Amino acid sequence: MNEEPADRVSRRRYQREQMARQEAEALLEQKSRELFLANEKLSAHSTQLEQRVSERTAELQTALERAEAASTARSRFVATMSHEIRTPLGGMLGMIDLLSMDETDPAKKELLNYAKTAGVGLSRIVNDVLDFSKMEAGVFVFEEESVDIRALVESVRILAGSNDKGANRQIIAKIDASVPKLFLGDATRIRQLISNLISNALRYSTEGPIIIRAQATPHPKDALLRVEVEDFGVGIPEDKLSDLFKDFSQVSNALTAAAQGTGLGLAICKRIIEGVGGKIGVQSIPGVGSTFWIELPVEVVALPASNQNKTGSLEDSDSLESLVGKRVLIAEDNIINQKLLLTYANRMQLNAELAENGRIALEMFSPDKHDLVLMDVAMPEMDGLEATRRIRQKWSDRELPPILALTAHVMDAIEEEATLVGIDTVLSKPIPFDELKLALETALSRKPRKVETAAAPAETPSEDAPASGDEAPLLKLMSPGAVDELLQMFTVEDLSDLVRKFVLDSSLRIDRITAAIDEGDEDAMSKEAHSLKGSSLVLGFTEISEWARQIEDGKPSPDSGSLGETANRIRNKLQDMHALL
Amino acid sequence: MKGTIFVELIKMAEDAFGEDTVDDVLDKADLENGGAFTAVGNYPCSELVKIVVAFSEHSGISPEDLQRKFGHWIMDHFVENYPGFFKDKKDTFGLLEAVDGEIHVEVKKLYPDAELPKFTTERIAEDHLEMVYTSPRPLVEFCHGMIEASLERFNEAADIQRCPVAAQADSAKFDITLTKKAGKAA
Repeated sequence: MNEEPADRVSRRRYQREQMARQEAEALLEQKSRELFLANEKLSAHSTQLEQRVSERTAELQTALERAEAASTARSRFVATMSHEIRTPLGGMLGMIDLLSMDETDPAKKELLNYAKTAGVGLSRIVNDVLDFSKMEAGVFVFEEESVDIRALVESVRILAGSNDKGANRQIIAKIDASVPKLFLGDATRIRQLISNLISNALRYSTEGPIIIRAQATPHPKDALLRVEVEDFGVGIPEDKLSDLFKDFSQVSNALTAAAQGTGLGLAICKRIIEGVGGKIGVQSIPGVGSTFWIELPVEVVALPASNQNKTGSLEDSDSLESLVGKRVLIAEDNIINQKLLLTYANRMQLNAELAENGRIALEMFSPDKHDLVLMDVAMPEMDGLEATRRIRQKWSDRELPPILALTAHVMDAIEEEATLVGIDTVLSKPIPFDELKLALETALSRKPRKVETAAAPAETPSEDAPASGDEAPLLKLMSPGAVDELLQMFTVEDLSDLVRKFVLDSSLRIDRITAAIDEGDEDAMSKEAHSLKGSSLVLGFTEISEWARQIEDGKPSPDSGSLGETANRIRNKLQDMHALL
Repeated sequence: MKGTIFVELIKMAEDAFGEDTVDDVLDKADLENGGAFTAVGNYPCSELVKIVVAFSEHSGISPEDLQRKFGHWIMDHFVENYPGFFKDKKDTFGLLEAVDGEIHVEVKKLYPDAELPKFTTERIAEDHLEMVYTSPRPLVEFCHGMIEASLERFNEAADIQRCPVAAQADSAKFDITLTKKAGKAA
């Protein structure tokens, strides 16, 4: 073996390394190519993905636009339909009002009354469905304005008392001192909520008062307003409570069999109250009554703004100005509505002047000739909004009388513009006589705009009179606890009146119970007794209530022996009471 | 089989017998590529066996002993080139248990077509591990060498029993009982 330097490598070793290197290089090339192809495939894939994403985005965009267009069309359809239905309906109702004012024949008057009731019912349904559709379409807009709940409750109360069902009923408002004088909220919707609850209370009870309570408790957003509406009516069975706020549901019972409605009222209430971040609920005992409540957080307005027009703020019904002899300019193009409004004005003993459209109204109007302007919105030549705008340009605010707009349009659509041109109040057509009267009185009372004093907030209308035993001997028969409690809500007179009604009603009821016992009709007996139990308990006639319970259960008290005897005891008791009447 | 095994085997032979001897042996071993291996290539396992047999014939050392020595050698190679796999291992059992679930997972990422043996471990006691080695290749001694090398690395000692697995001709079971635990002083 020849000596090779240690750092020299043999040829065969070199060749072997060469081969290994070639192989490695070939492998490298192959891997590089594979990598390149894989990269190409990847980028093609990503391009394709991007393209698909943009295709999908475009599809979604189109779908969204289509859905939005459909939704807009639907809202417009709803608004148009409501206008189309409400205008003739308003005309009909107005004509019926006029006819019944002049009608002397009792038979015809009764027919007119039926027509009116049916018309009002229809109008309520149309409004319900309209509200509901608006909420469905998401076009329900909640306003934020200063609300005077005392004035609001008062006007709702007066209005409810003026319709058929409320005419003979007592509606009592008890606004706690904790309730702020003014707070931010949607007055229209709060009014709708309360009046809905009151109309339900009137519908589902036949006797006893309706009590509206309001109180405020501290809340992170300033205050939590709670309004309760209590009735002493049929009540709601517990298993029906959960269905109460569902769409199109009604609790059926003897009272509602005849009651009309869409079953949307409470569903709408629920949506409204949830829309403004509040809650609604109910406590109810069948045969005793129900208390519906709403709770909503509100922001308290520290000082009342000087011209809060929408709240319909009126301090006291006594302070309302009389309409007699006031001069009103009515701008209205529709002859039926002209007739209606002129007749209304006549009834209110107003001095009315008529303008057939906005342009004529503008020409006729003069601040020293008119105390009020009633302006229809949609009129030929010049609409009410434009006419109002021009009037506002021509005269200063100080000179101008209140301008009220009347519209059959959906209120939300018009209200904003109306406020912009300087219309004080927007009234919705059809407007009942009493509501128009109240609105006009309210508007007049607000002129001249006096600085509202922060003094004594309008308290509840009825001050508690001290109970005097002489005046109310009947009340002595009631349990003292019940009397005290009831006197917080009622005056002694009102309460005596209620007891009188109770005695009369119960006397009839006990006759029916006796008849049912004689005929062996346990079902009827039990139902009547149940009702008697509830009402006597509320008024604190504990003895009667206990006896009624025994009859209801079909178990006479051991000392009386028979159900008939128990019924007799009740009858005797009632006769004693009757003697005191 | 990965080229790196061939390259390392030849390196070990060079270290033991010198370059010229290796060249002679490789020339005579009737290898498909004349012994020109690259670490990035892939070669049949039979070639590895041929090399082992050739060196056995040359040196008189049994192929089994050669494989076992090679196990020691390759362990050093791994520690040097892939320190990441050893960094968080405290002892042999920890390393063996990590082969299938950790080390081979990483190998597969780089070489998706690599055919890897299986190491199924079961910790019988703290100082007792059963490991079943499964591979179509006759390299059980190589594996044995690696286990020994690992014990040395962690300064451990163990009694290693090996037995075939019933009905699994390609498997062997290692029964490892520690006699000396990993020293605290590293």
